[in-house]
Amino acid sequence: MSPARPDATTAAPRTVLLVCGEPERGDDGAALAAVAALPPLVAARATIVRCGQLDVDHLLAVPDDAACVVVDAAVGVAPGEVVAMPLADLADRAGRGAPRSSHTLPPDQVVSLAAALRGSPPEGVFVGIGGRAFGLGAGLSPEVAAGLQALTDRIVDEILRPPHARRPG
Amino acid sequence: MTAAESAAREKVYEVDELTRVEGEGSLVLQVRKGKVVEARLKIFEAPRYFEQLVVERTPDEVIDIVARICGICPVAYQMSAVHAFEDCFGVKVDPEVRALRRLLYCGEWIESHALHIYLLHLPDFLGYESAIALAQDDRPAVERGLRMKKVGNEILAILGGRPIHPVSVRVGGFSRAPRRSELEPLRAPLAQALEDAKETVRLVAGLAAPAFEREPRMVALHHPKEYPYNHGHIQSTDGLDLRPSDWDRAFREVQVEGTMALHARTKDGGTYLLGPASRIVLDAEQLHPVAREALAATGMVDAIRTNIYWSILARAVELIHAIAEAIDLIDSYRPPIEARVAWGPRPGVAAWATEAPRGLLFHRYEVDERGRVAHAQIVPPTSQNQGAIEDDLREFAPSVLDLPDDEATLRLEQLIRSYDPCISCATHFLDVRILRD
Repeated sequence: MSPARPDATTAAPRTVLLVCGEPERGDDGAALAAVAALPPLVAARATIVRCGQLDVDHLLAVPDDAACVVVDAAVGVAPGEVVAMPLADLADRAGRGAPRSSHTLPPDQVVSLAAALRGSPPEGVFVGIGGRAFGLGAGLSPEVAAGLQALTDRIVDEILRPPHARRPG
Repeated sequence: MTAAESAAREKVYEVDELTRVEGEGSLVLQVRKGKVVEARLKIFEAPRYFEQLVVERTPDEVIDIVARICGICPVAYQMSAVHAFEDCFGVKVDPEVRALRRLLYCGEWIESHALHIYLLHLPDFLGYESAIALAQDDRPAVERGLRMKKVGNEILAILGGRPIHPVSVRVGGFSRAPRRSELEPLRAPLAQALEDAKETVRLVAGLAAPAFEREPRMVALHHPKEYPYNHGHIQSTDGLDLRPSDWDRAFREVQVEGTMALHARTKDGGTYLLGPASRIVLDAEQLHPVAREALAATGMVDAIRTNIYWSILARAVELIHAIAEAIDLIDSYRPPIEARVAWGPRPGVAAWATEAPRGLLFHRYEVDERGRVAHAQIVPPTSQNQGAIEDDLREFAPSVLDLPDDEATLRLEQLIRSYDPCISCATHFLDVRILRD
């Protein structure tokens, strides 16, 4: 269960929202769709970066005093299910098992490499939604379309989360 | 274990998941009495049917679709397609458009080569399991690679609209040509990147590569006046000379058991090598003077020709070339009068080959009277290199049979990574496991 949502008007540190995905590839566009649905007052409290594929440069550019939320579609999760994991835990997973990503370092290795270069992983969390179909030209699958509001809600929670409570519940 | 005992054993080396290559695949090596009886690079990613997806599409739609084949080399797919259609339709583009397309390709080569050298291949040579481990011990080296990769991405973003899967390439030119002021900010990071690339050549030339010699047939585009990106003839170290539209006069695709990807062979069944090493051997005279000087200082052209492990040096020399040429292109840039010239489709065969970072990429489209694609053939470099990879594995494997499993496996993976295979393009990867009978 998500923790109680803080008041959107409460002062909070800046959050960098790294939004991954490709809108023309089915469920890969879920993060972009969820972020487009953010309430304007909440969205205004984050720096939103549409980054396609997560790259180490995106993480290195996150200011030391900012929190980072990486949003993307995920495989290995039930379609439509929303999941979250601290970036530090994601970095710890790097190297366990073979990378399954196709074109560059997989996200866990990207986070781990950024951690090695920064001295520690950026503070923050990965928020994902399980995808089912990633075909070119396809829209969101029914499962992901149904889970989109939950994804948006989770992003809102992370943007408004006070710094001492950054680890997701 | 004595050599005789080793020779009598039968071993099966299975690289179930080959890491630090692009995509998903596996390696099976079967060794009997000291000889490799089977070397098979298997690609088990499902076929992706791009050649069918483009049927009934217009040329500009095709250019956007084929860019999605690969996140590392989308420009290559766009360039082979756009030049094929323009050749078929008789479209003549503005010389500045031609230069901008070279600049776009420079960006892709810089990004791809910097990624491969520093994040995928260098850890092998330095004894690290990954770039992450390398970064913990030698942060400046990894930061050097990332700086170059970043400037490559910035070129793609400015010219292509975004760094991954650019969207600006159109038949007849670009949907929009940049202003000079948009390119100027690239100048300073490119100057830094040039120094980084020179340091990269010095670094990799001093590495220790495994002893291995084989002289494959090498194939690349060759142009008398420029290092090959989009133009030139298909040439080989054994005398081949073809227009870039005529790949299928000398080569053919073949179905191979156990893999989703088609392989390519010469018409007489031979294998051949594409990519940086082949380009250096066939096109060294056309390198940018700064790159040519750096290559000469290494004294290692012959090593690049005969030892695939030195492809890392070829790739580093090409980094200098791409960065130096990008600087020249920006300095001399004048926006084209027309970013995109008018054109009309005509039925026929549209075919062309350009030089992707990994090697020659051939596209062939049959265009109907409505200007829509009726049939497509896309032959990526990794498909063409698979035969040469397997030949190398057969030759090299006996030299590692007496090594501990972990070390033998690492050497085999390192050999395959020397080709910078993009198995995603071929249909997508490699984990090595050794099974002993």
